Amino acid sequence: MELIVDSEKKKLQYSGSVSSLLKKLGVMREEVIVKVNGKLAPETAEVGAKDKVEVIKVVFGG
Amino acid sequence: MFDKRFRKTVRKFSMLRKGDRVAVGLSGGKDSTVLLHSLAELKKDLPFEIVAITIDEGIKGYRERTLRIAKDECKKLGVEHKVYKFESEAGKTLDTLVKNTNAKRGAGCGKESCDLPCSQCGVLRRYLLNKGARELKADKLAMGHNLDDMAQTVMMNIMRNEPARLARLNEPMVKNARFVTRIRPLMLTPEKENAIYAYLKGIELEHVECPYAHFAFRSHVRRILNETEERYPGTKFKIVNSFLDMEGALHSHYSKGVKLAECESCGEPAARDGICMYCRMITSSGAGNRKTAIAKTRTAR
Repeated sequence: MELIVDSEKKKLQYSGSVSSLLKKLGVMREEVIVKVNGKLAPETAEVGAKDKVEVIKVVFGG
Repeated sequence: MFDKRFRKTVRKFSMLRKGDRVAVGLSGGKDSTVLLHSLAELKKDLPFEIVAITIDEGIKGYRERTLRIAKDECKKLGVEHKVYKFESEAGKTLDTLVKNTNAKRGAGCGKESCDLPCSQCGVLRRYLLNKGARELKADKLAMGHNLDDMAQTVMMNIMRNEPARLARLNEPMVKNARFVTRIRPLMLTPEKENAIYAYLKGIELEHVECPYAHFAFRSHVRRILNETEERYPGTKFKIVNSFLDMEGALHSHYSKGVKLAECESCGEPAARDGICMYCRMITSSGAGNRKTAIAKTRTAR
């Protein structure tokens, strides 16, 4: 899959739920929103090889 | 769901009345911008006025962008907007205040536990928001604090053993006409829901963190609470609901005998006799133009 985390693009072999993906990436669910193929997706959504997943950090200090 | 919770919170805590003039503390970050939009929506059903205040602390590379978002959003919604700058009001930017304080101490704090920039910023920001709201003749000062902020503040006060400070989190110990009543309509809305709402409404999300944020104890507590929330969902709600249950008892216990003094320098309400925290801070940190700064605060009286 094509993965974008904080505007950084990478390729990743993964298939499973968004929630497990975030765990694998070491990202806290509480601090991000996730877009799958351009649309906002719940953490229960399933993603795979053909998907474009974007993880956007939304919790900042300040 | 989002709008329902927002309106329910406003109703439950009797935050707004018909005809109120509400000043929104608008940083341009997602929470305060979502608050501005939600209040503008509510205004369609309840007649009240909205104005917005932005405090420009003078943090290089951080505030410029959110200030632009704040201006754009106010223009879009037709809301009167006023910007107060630390530099013109207190005589120095936050960057300079921090630099001066560090120079005076011999070195920067450098420790992870150091909370100094945030403490200085908090005192100055609260003071100027209150002063600004009063200048704009607002009845209420609406803050964008969300459920996460509230849970963090409750935990921080407990961890620092400051129950008296916790007691006045939602309501001041003593009523004073010079304090504009603060309301927090998003206090029961999780931060992540604000972000989702902002995204769905097309509100620009700020992706820059305050350069001083890593100094703050709050950042540490935020991390702990987010980790706990992931393992035990509902934790933040439970913390805030526990506080709301205890609030009455805490307030009546700690408000006994509390009196407000008047700052000898600026005339604003002060916790103790003498000089208020704001005046002490802008003087002790070597804020150059103290006379101008204090003269400015006096004009707002």
